[in-house]
Amino acid sequence: MGADIAAGRRSRTAQGLAAGAFLGPATCVVLVTMVAPLLLLARYSANRYSATDLMIEAVTPENYLRFFTDTFYLGVMRTTIGVAVLSTLLCVLFGLPLAWRLARMAPRWKGVCMLGVILPLFIGSTVRTVGWMILLARGGLMDIATTRLFATRLDLMFTPTAVIVGIVSFNLPYLVLTMQSVFDRVDVQLEQAAQALGAPPVRAFWRVVWPLVLPGVAIAAVMCFILSMNAYATPVLLGGPRFQMMAPLLYWEFGTNNNWPFAAALAFILMGTTLLLTVFANMLIPRRYRA
Amino acid sequence: MHDKDAVRSRRRMLLSRRQALTGAVAIVAPLAAPAVIDSAARAQSSRIVLTTWGGDYARLLHENVEVPILQKEGIEVVQDLGDEAPRVAKLQAQRRLPRGASDVVSVQAVASYQLAEMGLLEELDATKVPNLKHALPNLGTATFAPHIYSPQVIIYNPERVPEPPTSFEGLMDPKYAGKVGFPDINYIYAMMAASIYASGTTSDMDKAKDLLVKLNANGLKLYPTTDSAGPPYKSGELNVGLMWLARVVMWQNAGIPVKASFPKEGCVVYISGMVVPKNAPNKEGAYKYINAMLEPSAQQGFAEHMGYLPTIDNAGLSGKVAEQLALPDPAPKLIPPDLAYVSKMQPELAEWWKKTIQHG
Repeated sequence: MGADIAAGRRSRTAQGLAAGAFLGPATCVVLVTMVAPLLLLARYSANRYSATDLMIEAVTPENYLRFFTDTFYLGVMRTTIGVAVLSTLLCVLFGLPLAWRLARMAPRWKGVCMLGVILPLFIGSTVRTVGWMILLARGGLMDIATTRLFATRLDLMFTPTAVIVGIVSFNLPYLVLTMQSVFDRVDVQLEQAAQALGAPPVRAFWRVVWPLVLPGVAIAAVMCFILSMNAYATPVLLGGPRFQMMAPLLYWEFGTNNNWPFAAALAFILMGTTLLLTVFANMLIPRRYRA
Repeated sequence: MHDKDAVRSRRRMLLSRRQALTGAVAIVAPLAAPAVIDSAARAQSSRIVLTTWGGDYARLLHENVEVPILQKEGIEVVQDLGDEAPRVAKLQAQRRLPRGASDVVSVQAVASYQLAEMGLLEELDATKVPNLKHALPNLGTATFAPHIYSPQVIIYNPERVPEPPTSFEGLMDPKYAGKVGFPDINYIYAMMAASIYASGTTSDMDKAKDLLVKLNANGLKLYPTTDSAGPPYKSGELNVGLMWLARVVMWQNAGIPVKASFPKEGCVVYISGMVVPKNAPNKEGAYKYINAMLEPSAQQGFAEHMGYLPTIDNAGLSGKVAEQLALPDPAPKLIPPDLAYVSKMQPELAEWWKKTIQHG
C-alpha cells in the first residue's frame, strides 16, 4: 500500500517535471516578448518628458495625475468606453443568431457560410476601413443611394455612427466564430428533449441552451470589448480628428508629440481600465454559469 | 485489409507532407539565400542607409536620385521608412551610440532645427556637397540641406468659388461656413498662416489662436490625412481651404477641380530636406546622397511628379511643370517658419490644438 502511494507520488513528480519542461519554453517566450516590454513601458511611464532628451529618468506619478486631473482626457476615456460597450452589445445582438444558425446548419452549407464569415478577416483592418470610407463619404455609395431614393444627403463620415459601424463590422467575424464553436458543443438533443417535454423553441433556447452557452458568449463579448477599447484605424479614418478615442490619443502623444512617458502612462491606464471593466462584466454573470 | 489501407493512406499522407515540406524549403531557400548573401555583401560595399517618409516621396527618391545617379556610382541605398516623429525619436535614442543606424535622414525644417539644437547633427561640409552652392538662400541651415519646398496657398474649387479669397480672413467668411477645411496634421502651418495674416510673422500665436477659434466656429472641417482632404473638393464637401501648392498641382493632375490663390499677406513655406547625424556610419555616402538629391534632374523629377518647387537655382523647369508651378506676378511673399519659435512652442500648441480646436 505504502509502496503504491510512493510510486504514485513519483509518477506525479515525473509528470510535473515533464509538464514543466513542456511549458518552460513557451513561458520564457511569453516573459521575454510580453512581460519584458510591459515592464519597460511601466518604467517609462514614471519618467519625465523632455523635448531635447526624449525623457528624463525619474520616478514620478505626474503622467498618471495629468490624465486623472484633466477633464479632457477623462472625456476621451468616457467616449472610448461608450463606443466599446455599444459596439460589443451590437456585435452580440447581430452575432448571436448568426452563430446559432451556423452551428445548426447542414455541414454542406456550413462550410460555405463559415467561409463567408471568415473572408473579411483575409483583408487588413485598414483596407476594410478604407472600403467603409468609400461607402460612407459624401459622393460615396450610401450618399448616392439616399440622394436618389429619398432626395436627402447622407454624410456619415467623421461621425460616431461611422466609427461604431466600422468597429462592429471588424469585430463581428471574431464573435461569430467564437460563439459558433460554443453553440456547436451544445447537444442538439437537449433542445429536442426540451421541446418534446412541451417547451416552445424560444423557451427551450432560453432555459436550456442559453445557460450552457453563456460562459462562451461572455468570453466572445469580452474579446469584442477589448478589441473595441483598443481600436485605432477605425476611429482615426472614420471618426476623423475630432472624434477622440484612447488608442489614437496614445499614438498622437507617442508619434506626434514624442512624449513617450505620457504615452506609456496612457497605455497602462487603457490596459488597466479594460481589465477592470472585464472583471466587472464577469461578476455580472451568475456564479453558476461562469466558465 | 482496412488496416493496410489506413497504413497506406497514412504513408501517402506522410509522403505528401514531406513533399510539401521539401517543396516549401525548395521555394523559400532560394528566396532567403540572396538576403543572407546580400546582407554580407552590403556590409562590405558602399551602402547608405536613408531614413525617410514612405509612399510617393520614397518612391521618387528611388526613381530620381538613387537609381539614375547613385547606383551608377556603385552606391547602394537602403531606405528605412516611417513617420517623422519616430524618426526624430530614433535619433534621440541613438545619440550615445558611436555608430547610429542612419547615414542620412529626411526631416522638415522645424525638426532639423530641433535636432541641431540637441547637438545631434553634423555640420554639412560644402566641399563634399558641391551642389549646395546652388541651394536657394533662406531655406537651409548649416546642418540642413533643403530638398523640396512649397508655399501654403488658399485652395478652392473654381466651379463653386468664382472669386476666391485672397487672404486668411476670407476663409472666415460665413458664405464658406461648413465648406472650409484642411488636413489636421497641417495644424501648425494653419496657425502660422493666421499669424502671418495678423502680424506678418509666423510667431504671433496668441492672435493666431483667436483667428483659428473663429475659423473653427465657421464650421472648419479637419481631415485625418493629407490625401483625404483632396476628394472633398470634387464631392462638394469643401469649397475653400489651406493646402500646399504642390498638393494643388498633384490634385489637378488627378482630375480634382482645384486652383490656388496666394494670400496677399504672404505664404508660409513647407521645407523638407536632409540632415546627417553626427554618429552616421557612412558620412561620405551621406554627402553623396545630398549632392545627388540637389542635381537638376532629380529636382525636376520631384517638381514634375509631386509638384514641389526645386530648392536649387539651376533646376531649369520647362513646359507644363514650369507653367503649373509658376508663381504669380507680382511674386508672393514667401515666409519660411521661425524655426526657433515653432520648435519651442510646438508641444504647447499641439496641446492647445487638441483641446480647443479638435475638441471644440
